[in-house]
Amino acid sequence: MSATATAAPVVGQSRADESAPVRLAVKDVNFYYGDFRGLKNINLDFRDRQVTALIGPSGCGKSTLLRTFNRIYSLYPEQRADGQILLDGRNILDPAIDLNELRARVGMVFQKPTPFPMSIYDNIAFGIRLYERLPKAELDDRVEEALRKGALWDEVKDKLRQSGMGLSGGQQQRLCIARTVAQRPEVILLDEPTSALDPISTGRIEELIEQLRSEFTIAIVTHNMQQAARISQFTAFMYLGELIEFGPTNRLFMNPAKRQTQDYITGRFG
Amino acid sequence: MANHIVSSYDTDLQNLRRSIAEMGGIAEKMMADASHALVRRDVGLAQSVIAADPRLDGLQREIEERAILLIARRQPMAIDLRETISAIRVSGDLERIGDLAKNVAKRVVAISDQVQLQKIVVGVEHMSELVQAQLKDVLDAYATQDTKAAFDVWERDGDIDSLYTSLFRELLTYMMEDPRNITFCTHLLFCAKNVERIGDHTTNIAETIHYLVTGETLAGDRPKNDRSSFATAESPAGA
Repeated sequence: MSATATAAPVVGQSRADESAPVRLAVKDVNFYYGDFRGLKNINLDFRDRQVTALIGPSGCGKSTLLRTFNRIYSLYPEQRADGQILLDGRNILDPAIDLNELRARVGMVFQKPTPFPMSIYDNIAFGIRLYERLPKAELDDRVEEALRKGALWDEVKDKLRQSGMGLSGGQQQRLCIARTVAQRPEVILLDEPTSALDPISTGRIEELIEQLRSEFTIAIVTHNMQQAARISQFTAFMYLGELIEFGPTNRLFMNPAKRQTQDYITGRFG
Repeated sequence: MANHIVSSYDTDLQNLRRSIAEMGGIAEKMMADASHALVRRDVGLAQSVIAADPRLDGLQREIEERAILLIARRQPMAIDLRETISAIRVSGDLERIGDLAKNVAKRVVAISDQVQLQKIVVGVEHMSELVQAQLKDVLDAYATQDTKAAFDVWERDGDIDSLYTSLFRELLTYMMEDPRNITFCTHLLFCAKNVERIGDHTTNIAETIHYLVTGETLAGDRPKNDRSSFATAESPAGA
């Protein structure tokens, strides 16, 4: 099935769609923390409406790679990237690119939930107001839509004015995902989104990711191999700043081509 | 291959391998003994084959339980998952091999007081020896994860099928010649069929070895030369 704007929902189809169009193309990307080269010549395609998992031991560069996609690293002057990252054909590493616009198109959720110290409603509305001026009724609709997509609406609809900080960890994380979704991005980056959550909250987030896949291109960094195997269609294994192996998740976890991948996913990494 | 970071994981997998090896040894002995008992009309030996079967069944259950527990506790990936699944499959094949050998032994007891046609018993013995060699080779291939040796076993199964088809025809002929042969020949036919099916289980194991090592299933149809499904007895002229 090729994914087009009118394609049927892909929820529940776990097989990798290798014919899906490339949404984000990484070409010869290097990344530097000062003199240290954190990424070495990375080439990788992220396909439309597919979940791509980035796995590898701590310090392998997977989070670094994720951070190049919305250029969040540019907050730190000593960090820089070269090469090309094409989002719908445009190089987002181009200095001329508008970072605010980029970050609206490429949303990010972090390991630790980061709700703003404001009401649940305003947590969602805040991001929308940055980019759009909407009448109150329309804004309400957008907040509801985002909270529904974040699978949180039923739990918070009666307490939208209460602080987002009062929610449980899992709810806070879904609030952050809803906040990201509210901007209607094209790509969602998830950096270990469930590593601080209990199994029930983790299950809810995984279910949510599965649903969001019908609309968004998703890249997720995870240390949980079973999670990567469960929720992604493609997996990339990285080690020491290099991309070692990339392919459909089902193949990579059943029959990896590279010895290093096999050692890592089977727990033989010494 | 490098060891797991968690050493008890290696122990779990080693224990599975060891139990499979033990099952293999028992199945081999059961099969050889059943064949000897048939040729030598040794009821005592046949009884010992029947008595060995519960141990094989017990080992199979044990392997299955341990493999399931390993999946639940360690969530194996890649080669480890394939090895765990392979252990379940191979133990199932070995358990069936034991059942089939036991069935031969039971028939040895049943036909012990019948007149034996030694010539045709020798035919079944020859076929059994070929299958025993197959079983030995496939168990060695499993232990050493040798896909080439496994593939050879897989290919040779066609010879056993051919042999079975010719035995089938021969037994039909004996039965037509003299109806008093029917009881003995029918039992012998089932013995031959059991041996042929043991051959099929050895090729299953060969396929599992291929999957275990390469992660892929053996493509293509297995060589099959069993034509006995189409064999008929020609009625004597004028009958």
